[in-house]
Amino acid sequence: MLLSTALLVPWVAGAVLVALDGRLRVVAWLAVASLAAALALLGVLAADVFGGGARQVVTGGWPAGVGIVLRADALGVVFALLSVLVLLAAAAHEAVGGVRSRTFPGLVVLLGAGLTGLFVTADVFSFYVFFELAMTASYALSAYGGKRRQLRAALVFTAVNLLGSFIFLLSVAGAYRVTGALAMEQVAERVLAVNPNAAILIAAGFFIAFCVKLGLFPFHFWLPTVYAGARPAVAAILSGAVANIGAYGLLRFGVDLFPEQLRLSGVVLVVLGAASIVYGGVLAVSRGDAAEMLAYSAIGQVGYVLVALGVGGPVGLVAAVLYSVINSLNKALLFLASGVRGALVAAAFAVGALSVAGVPPAAGFVGKLELFRTGVVAGSAALVVLLVVGSALSLVYLFQVYQRGFWRPDPAATGTPSPLPQRLPTAVLALLVLAAGLWPEPLLLLSSHAVDALLAP
Amino acid sequence: MILASALAAAVLFGSGAYLLLKRDLIRMVAGIMLISQSAVVTIMAAGLSRGPAAIAVAPGDAVSDPLPQALALTALVIGLATVALLLALVHRAVVVFRTAEQDELAATEAVHEAGLERQRQADREETEARLEDERRAERERAR
Repeated sequence: MLLSTALLVPWVAGAVLVALDGRLRVVAWLAVASLAAALALLGVLAADVFGGGARQVVTGGWPAGVGIVLRADALGVVFALLSVLVLLAAAAHEAVGGVRSRTFPGLVVLLGAGLTGLFVTADVFSFYVFFELAMTASYALSAYGGKRRQLRAALVFTAVNLLGSFIFLLSVAGAYRVTGALAMEQVAERVLAVNPNAAILIAAGFFIAFCVKLGLFPFHFWLPTVYAGARPAVAAILSGAVANIGAYGLLRFGVDLFPEQLRLSGVVLVVLGAASIVYGGVLAVSRGDAAEMLAYSAIGQVGYVLVALGVGGPVGLVAAVLYSVINSLNKALLFLASGVRGALVAAAFAVGALSVAGVPPAAGFVGKLELFRTGVVAGSAALVVLLVVGSALSLVYLFQVYQRGFWRPDPAATGTPSPLPQRLPTAVLALLVLAAGLWPEPLLLLSSHAVDALLAP
Repeated sequence: MILASALAAAVLFGSGAYLLLKRDLIRMVAGIMLISQSAVVTIMAAGLSRGPAAIAVAPGDAVSDPLPQALALTALVIGLATVALLLALVHRAVVVFRTAEQDELAATEAVHEAGLERQRQADREETEARLEDERRAERERAR
């Protein structure tokens, strides 16, 4: 019951809000309120799931196996909470600053509905449907602002991601063909018996679709144009919430549905992740523009998730979950902070930068620590060296931006500080990152619960 | 029948990928449409394992799996919606950039960006010059 309500609230609110004029202040705040309500409901659901195990609803009251199953387990709930939190911060940021398009508030809420549905569904095809709901909202969002750059960004984003979506759909068709099932549980059971060649082909299709979404190294060409071109709030939404689809998809489909194929391709994943880390880091150092640098940094940061996934095992998976959570908080914070000015924002940006680099008081340190543990468990010195190099690179490029954007002595170059309410969402996110770094136990517990749910038979 | 569907899907995907790599935006949209149709054909083919379509069959006859047809219907609707959105975006781009060629699109954007950058630079120099003037005036007053 709680599960369906948590899904219905943003869905209905989004459908209503899209019809209203989003430039009105009250509509923007209604969007923020409905996202807050969705977040609260998900919080209650999360408490329920952590206390008493996964919650399951079969739509329409059909017996399971006939009706579509919605199933909230710890992993899905963690990602849903995180994504809605990022959307809430971005929506509040825009609501304070004044929304410039009719549809922005409604689209953000609908995106929240799509993401929530995606994280709680246990059916491969309805995963595709929610995936498209979320993606369609984000295609429209990426054009937000209506300037030339945003328009071009939206074109690139839509074209590349539509291709990714159809590759995903092809894989869904393939999975149905070889297993005769769409429920994830049944697919996972029956895939063990199918022809290994067919299974690895289908797994590769899913992998490509999610990597396009994540913007991982060989599939990243759309990403810099889009993240640098979109407005800060949209870039924060894309990198903090929409990219979660990729991380969640890799975890869910990789570990749950195709564990054998994931194990076989472990080395490939580690190599791709390492290439992503180095490529993103080096190119980020070479960029002057803050938004473009953050975009390349995003390519580098998702590489860590892939490396942890490639190493696998409970330690690697906990690191992957933890790092995707921390990374999406970091990216939301940095992109939002790059759009506003002032001393408070400079401090927030510095917290985000420290977190990305993995310096102790910030949450990124905990993530990096888990990654180092992964490297040690894998017994690979090269991996540990790679992690150190990646962290050093991120420290270099982020402080380059900090120095250029926030450290100028003359007020003409930095601009006048933004009004205080507009700086507050970034400050709150920064405090959250700091709190998660100073008191990491809840976050660690959350990730280990999520991985337990994933690995449970 | 499965072979025919596989061939159809392959040809659709191949032509779609070819069109997608073209410079023209409209062809790119056509390419994406063809690829979406290829996915739909694949879904239909995934159900062709048990017999003819489940329309007006005698009781006891083997019928094909109706589920993929429901899936194909959903996928078609979603594909239609996304392609409509993409066409709207392309239309907007053609109105703003006055071209449907990707190269020209990037070129006009680069010119526009360079103009903006020059403007920003000029603004910065102006403020710096003003600050410099103020400082000089202050020094002279102090003297």
